[in-house]
Amino acid sequence: MSGANLQPGLHRPSTPAAIVRAWAPVLGCLVLAIVMQLVVGPLLVRMGQDFAAKLLLDIGTNAILAVSLTMVNGFTGQFSIGHAAFMAVGGYVAAGITYYGSYRLFGSPDLAAGMLSTSTGAGSGLFTKGDGLFLGSIFAGGLVAAGCGYLVGLPSLRLKGDYLAIVTLGFGEIVRVLIQTQTTDTLYDPDTIAQTPAWELPKYLGGALGFSGLPSYTSLFWAWLFAALTILVAYRIKASTYGRAFLSIREDEIASEAMGVDTTRYKVRAFTISAFFAGCAGALFAHTVGVQLNAGELGFAKSFDIIIMVVLGGMGSISGAFFAAIILTILPELLRNVAEYRMVAYATALILMMLVRPEGLLGVREIWEKRTWRAIARIGRRGTP
Amino acid sequence: MSDPVLHASGVCKSFGGLKAVQGFGVSLQGGDLKGLIGPNGAGKTTVFNLLTGVYTPDEGKITLAGRSIAGIRPSRIAAQGMARTFQNIRLFGELSVLDNVKLARHVRVKHGMWASVLRTPASYAEEAEIDAKARELLALFDLADRAEEQGKNLPYGDQRRLEIARALATNPKVLLLDEPAAGMNPQEKKELRDLIRRVRDEFKTAILLIEHDMGLVMEICERITVLDYGKTIAEGTPQEIQANPKVIEAYLGTGDTGEEGDQKPEAARA
Repeated sequence: MSGANLQPGLHRPSTPAAIVRAWAPVLGCLVLAIVMQLVVGPLLVRMGQDFAAKLLLDIGTNAILAVSLTMVNGFTGQFSIGHAAFMAVGGYVAAGITYYGSYRLFGSPDLAAGMLSTSTGAGSGLFTKGDGLFLGSIFAGGLVAAGCGYLVGLPSLRLKGDYLAIVTLGFGEIVRVLIQTQTTDTLYDPDTIAQTPAWELPKYLGGALGFSGLPSYTSLFWAWLFAALTILVAYRIKASTYGRAFLSIREDEIASEAMGVDTTRYKVRAFTISAFFAGCAGALFAHTVGVQLNAGELGFAKSFDIIIMVVLGGMGSISGAFFAAIILTILPELLRNVAEYRMVAYATALILMMLVRPEGLLGVREIWEKRTWRAIARIGRRGTP
Repeated sequence: MSDPVLHASGVCKSFGGLKAVQGFGVSLQGGDLKGLIGPNGAGKTTVFNLLTGVYTPDEGKITLAGRSIAGIRPSRIAAQGMARTFQNIRLFGELSVLDNVKLARHVRVKHGMWASVLRTPASYAEEAEIDAKARELLALFDLADRAEEQGKNLPYGDQRRLEIARALATNPKVLLLDEPAAGMNPQEKKELRDLIRRVRDEFKTAILLIEHDMGLVMEICERITVLDYGKTIAEGTPQEIQANPKVIEAYLGTGDTGEEGDQKPEAARA
C-alpha cells in the first residue's frame, strides 16, 4: 500500500525540515566536541584537575568502543570477544600513517597540530595539515579494521551459535602475535625514514617493545567528536527499520529470516560497522598523551574490559553502554590502590549481573525512553525490579 | 484458470534414511484456502519448511508466482511473497507488538541503511509508511491497544494473532499457517476462523493451513491434502476427505499391527 494510507497524525516532513532534523544532531556532535575542547578541558586544567581532563579523554575513547560493541553483542545478539583486536588494527594503521607520514611530509612529528588537536588548545591554527593527516589516519584505521571485520565475520557469522566468539578470540591472538613478532623497532632517524621505501615501513611498527614516539594528536575534541558521532550513528541505526532487523536476529534468527531479513548479511554488516568504530577508537587511543601503543596491551584483557561495559550497561542499550564506559573508566582510577583485584571485582560483578539482572542495567532500553523511567519508578516503590 | 501463485510438484526430502516427504504437490491460486492435515509426524511442518526454504528439497519443483524458489534462502523467498507462522510461536519477545509488525515491513523497504543513518527524506517517508501500515494491521487484528507491550507479555491467543499479523505485514502472495488454533479455546477458535476468512477475502492471499482441529479445517478449507508418513494419501474437498477410507485408516488405524507396524516404525514418526 502507498502513502494514501498514511494516518493524518503521521506527518511526512517537508524537505527543508527533514534536512534540519537530519543534520542538526551532526552539528550538535561538533559543538559538543568543541565545547569539550575549548571550555570543559581548560576549565578542568585551571582547577588543577589535569588528571580529570585526561580521564575525560579516555571516557570518549572507551565510549566509542563500548557503543560499537553493543551493535554486535547487543543488537544482533552475537558474541564477539575480540573487540580490542580491531582497536589494535586501527591503532597500528593510523599510527604508522601519522608517524611515518609526518616525518615524510613535515620532517618531524607533532609539530603540525592545530588548536583543536592539542591538549592545551594553543595550536598553530584551527585545522592544520597535521590535523588533516590525523583525521585521514583515523578513517584509514577504521576502514582497515572494518575490512578485517568483514573477513572475520563472513565465514563465522554464516553459522548459528558461538562460532563468532571462538573466531574473534583467535583473531585477537593472531593480530597480537603478528604485530609483536613480525614488526621490529621503530625507525627514529629522519634520513633512514626518508630512504626506506613506503611499502617496507609497516615492518617498523615497534614489535614487542611497542610503537613509541607517536605524535599526541588526540585531544578532547577528536575523542568526543568521534564518541558523539558513534552514538549518533548507533542510535539512528537502532531507531530505524534496520535496527529492528538487527534486533529481530537477536530475538529469533529463524523467524527473522522467515520475515525476509537476510540474517547472515545483516550480522556481517553489524560486525563490520562495529569493527570500523573500534578501529577509529584504536587510532584515537594510539595518539593519546602518555599512551605507548603496544599490541600486548590490546589483547583479551582489553576486549574483556569492553565486554564488561556492554554487559553492565545492558545488551543493546546505547546509553547503557555509554554510562558503563564512564563508570568503568573512572572506577579503576578511584580504586588504584587495590588495582590487582580489578579483574576479580569485574568477574564478580559479571557473575552477580548474570544472576540478578542478566539483561544488564538498562537491558535494551535507552535512558531517554519513558518506559525506562516507569521501570525505575516501579523499582523505587517496590524495592525490587 | 489463471496460473497458480504457488505450485509444487514431486517434492521429496529425506533425513538420512527417513523419507520425511515424498512426492508432495500442491497448487494454490490467490484467494485459495487449502488445508494440510495428517497425523503427528506425517511431515506437514517439513512441507512448510521446504516451501519456505528452511530445507532444500532433494527433488521436485517449487514455484512462487512462476519463479522457482527451490534451494534459495528463506529471506529471499519471503521477499518474493511467502510468509508463514510457526507451530511453536516465534515472536520477537523483547520487541513491542508494534515493532514485531514493523519489522515484517522491512523486507519491502527501498531505502538503504546509510539513508537511515543520514535520515534522508526518503527514509522518513518510508518509516512513516511502515508505522501507518503496521498500526492498520494491528487494528484489523484487535491488537491496537496493545501496540506498546512487549510481544512476550501477550496472552497466548493474542500471540498467535500477532504472528499472523506479522506474516501479513510482508505483503505475502502465499500465507502458510502452522497450527494457528493450537491451544485456543472454542471462542478463540471461532474468532480465528472468521479472521482467516477475512484475511483471505481482504488480502486475496492464498492460504495453506496446517491444523489438527478437524472442525476448523473442514469448515473453512475448500480443499484438503492429507499426508501420512510423508506421502500424500488423499486430496479433495472436505466431504471427500471425510469419506476417504485411507484417511480414516491413517487417523484411526486398521487394528492390524503386524506387518503394517514393521513398515512404519514409531521412531520414524518423530
